[in-house]
Amino acid sequence: MNRVRNTKLVLWLITGFATAVGLNRFIFGLGATTNLTDSTPWGLWIGFDVMGGVALAAGGFVMTAMFYIMKREEFHPLVKPAVLTAFLGYLAVIFGLLFDLGLPWNIWHMIIYWNPHSPLFEVGWCVMLYSAVLLLEFSPVPLEEFSRYAKIRNFLMKFRFVFVLLGIMLSTLHQSSLGSLFLIMPFKLHPLWYSNILPIEFFISAVALGLMMVALESQVSHWLYKRKPETDLISKLGKTVVWVLVTYFLVKFIDLTVSGKLGLITNGSWESFVFITEILISIIIPLIIFAVPRLRNNTKTQWVGSFMVVFGMVFNRINVGGLTMLSITGDSYTPSWMEITISLGVVSVAALVFLFAIEKFHIWDLKPQDPESLPHTAPSFDYSSHAWLGTPDVSSLTKYSLAFVISFAVGMALMPESKLQGKGIEIVKVSRASGKDTLFINGNRDGNFVMFPHKDHIQRIGQDQCIKCHHLTLPGYQESSCWECHTSMYKVVDFFRHDWHASVNGANIKCEGCHKTGVTRNSESAKKCVECHPEFKFEKTQFSIVKKYYAPSYTDALHKLCVSCHIVKSRELKDKTNLAQCTTCHKSEMPERLTVNLKWETSLPHFNNVILPDVDVKD
Amino acid sequence: MNKAILTDVTKCIGCLKCVSACKETNNLEMDVPRVWQKNDGLSAENWTSIIQKPDKNYVRKQCRHCLEPACASVCPVGALHKTKEGPVIYDSDKCLGCRYCMMACPYGIPRYDWDRTVPYVRKCIMCYDNKIKRGQQPACTEICPVNATIFGERKELLRIAHNRIKENPSKYINKVWGEHEVGGTSVLYLSGIDLGFLSYGTNLGNKPLPEMTAPAMESVPFAFLGMGGFMLGLNWIIRRRMEFSKQQNKDEKSKDE
Repeated sequence: MNRVRNTKLVLWLITGFATAVGLNRFIFGLGATTNLTDSTPWGLWIGFDVMGGVALAAGGFVMTAMFYIMKREEFHPLVKPAVLTAFLGYLAVIFGLLFDLGLPWNIWHMIIYWNPHSPLFEVGWCVMLYSAVLLLEFSPVPLEEFSRYAKIRNFLMKFRFVFVLLGIMLSTLHQSSLGSLFLIMPFKLHPLWYSNILPIEFFISAVALGLMMVALESQVSHWLYKRKPETDLISKLGKTVVWVLVTYFLVKFIDLTVSGKLGLITNGSWESFVFITEILISIIIPLIIFAVPRLRNNTKTQWVGSFMVVFGMVFNRINVGGLTMLSITGDSYTPSWMEITISLGVVSVAALVFLFAIEKFHIWDLKPQDPESLPHTAPSFDYSSHAWLGTPDVSSLTKYSLAFVISFAVGMALMPESKLQGKGIEIVKVSRASGKDTLFINGNRDGNFVMFPHKDHIQRIGQDQCIKCHHLTLPGYQESSCWECHTSMYKVVDFFRHDWHASVNGANIKCEGCHKTGVTRNSESAKKCVECHPEFKFEKTQFSIVKKYYAPSYTDALHKLCVSCHIVKSRELKDKTNLAQCTTCHKSEMPERLTVNLKWETSLPHFNNVILPDVDVKD
Repeated sequence: MNKAILTDVTKCIGCLKCVSACKETNNLEMDVPRVWQKNDGLSAENWTSIIQKPDKNYVRKQCRHCLEPACASVCPVGALHKTKEGPVIYDSDKCLGCRYCMMACPYGIPRYDWDRTVPYVRKCIMCYDNKIKRGQQPACTEICPVNATIFGERKELLRIAHNRIKENPSKYINKVWGEHEVGGTSVLYLSGIDLGFLSYGTNLGNKPLPEMTAPAMESVPFAFLGMGGFMLGLNWIIRRRMEFSKQQNKDEKSKDE
């Protein structure tokens, strides 16, 4: 049973790692965890966890329809696992959605606030109802273990057909409505995937995916527990899936032909390659595998075929769910490792619950032996230390806990600091300042302010020389950059005049006076300013709470200079009463002397505001 | 009572007064470039922006307040809705953060508080709470020094727009942006340059986007009951067939005996 244990160990490792990342998501928000942007608001979590997840769980309704409605009695061994997979699949979808929703605690709002025009509203309700139906459908299985609930179980069994029928009806709705979600985006979704009959395509592909998911899941669990594979049943499923795939293929291609989009398949864009790959993986190759009897009855090709359908259809959901919108939105979205981890984590939690249920409840005709309670061999000793390592049962539980805890810790440790802040800020050069006596410029946007003595600058440069800083800029830029003047510390204008400190006529300090010997001479190896100039000590300065402040743009800076005079003059000069009006200066053409120094760019910089603290210097 | 905004691109001088008035009126906080922003100047804290185009064309981007908004039609909880005055407004108490509105908007307007633990959808609401409810005009149109962007009844603004084109046909492209696109919008543009860059895809068509999903949504009850009926019928036929064949088997057996 090592196979089961090792698989569980891996699943626990992933779960622990994902838990750490999940905590990060809920503490620091979506920006800290995902690579989602304003133009790509839906990413991997919607494409894979939700759209893919719902489709992967389609096995439940397909198998119950086969067994209860169409009376295909031979599929009996597959029904219970299929319903279990569906139930866990839906729970995983809802669980995964909690990570993606911005306000997951409001997920129940759909119950009280209704908007029946929205496909998502319908999907939400169907998923809620269908999960409830699946619970009722599945609960007889665990209830079997407890004799005191026999009455409830019998009651549920009596209505089983109703639940099955309701489940099929609800599944039809939301499997197709997931396609309707994208009907409203003809402008965004690539034409190869956009279609008016998207809901129908989604439904048919969900049926195919459901059938093959049941097959794949049977194969995986039989491999895990080293049971004889259900090759005959899967080949029967394969026979059915051929018809579904043919229908899907015909519907898709007739639709593409009618709307005249066939040419797009061969036009060589990356979307066309994605489309061809998707069609090959999800339809053509599995179709060949399951149509040829020799391949259909072979266990190995069954693996390949069912995996391809499952992978291909989920790929289709991801393509529709946002991947093929990227060239139109002009965005470049690749899921962050945190998104991938959480997706994997959701899957592994579902898989762990699935394995638990398989071992504890009567899901297969033959319950697999509980691997934890297997050989009650004599306790094992570590011979060197004579330490008892516990029964095999205990030791595997210990291993799982350890796996979880360690990978949780590794996950925590791996989280980069910049991600934890989650502010989505790229450190940029200091380029903005603005004007009062002394300014505090949060140039790197990291909360560390740089003091800028504005009044001193005015005194040094001259009262009427505002233009030197304020008018070199474009509309929207606040002011000129510090580094335009303060290029290096060897220049006279720098606050710390290095050459003056070193020169004989200045402070006359030898190199060793400031720099440590034997180390590269740079700012790191030099003395701090305060060591010689105690008056620079920062403890004397105190800062009050930051007040919201709108930095005057160069426009405002100049308006306040010019307009005040213009107003006075407009009153003095009888023939120039218009002087203080905006349109006097703002004609359609800008005066040439103002535009000479301007580099015109096609896009404006972001409109920024500098936070300016009220400074309260106590001496 | 259907208020609208008309922005004349040829008149705008790019002074950004509207941007700063918007920030003050709607109490928007400081903003810095973030990795998730698009380079059109809009963000969670910037509900309107000026896009600079060659030849001193300044185009003000903001929510278009569609007459039949896609965002409001797709919101599963109705957190966004079109008011009778014209603005499309947002109710943060209802929102559950699915971001479907951001996906559905053909102009890519709604922005998200990606950096917050409690994020909301953020977009221009035409100063609904602070100005329009009190019978005032939005802050952006109020402050514009050259009347490049003006506020009024939609019909009246359309008349003004067509008049301006008629008076100055060489200056403008003969089209009022927002008159018919996606069923009409409450923010109209006059321009000397093509404004296709304001939306995803240059031609959105005149059909309101909610109509694209309407057929699918209307067929929901039919699909639901139809599938139920079909399954019941199928089950009935199959069961009858099975009984029939059982009966036949029995008959054959009895004959044999």
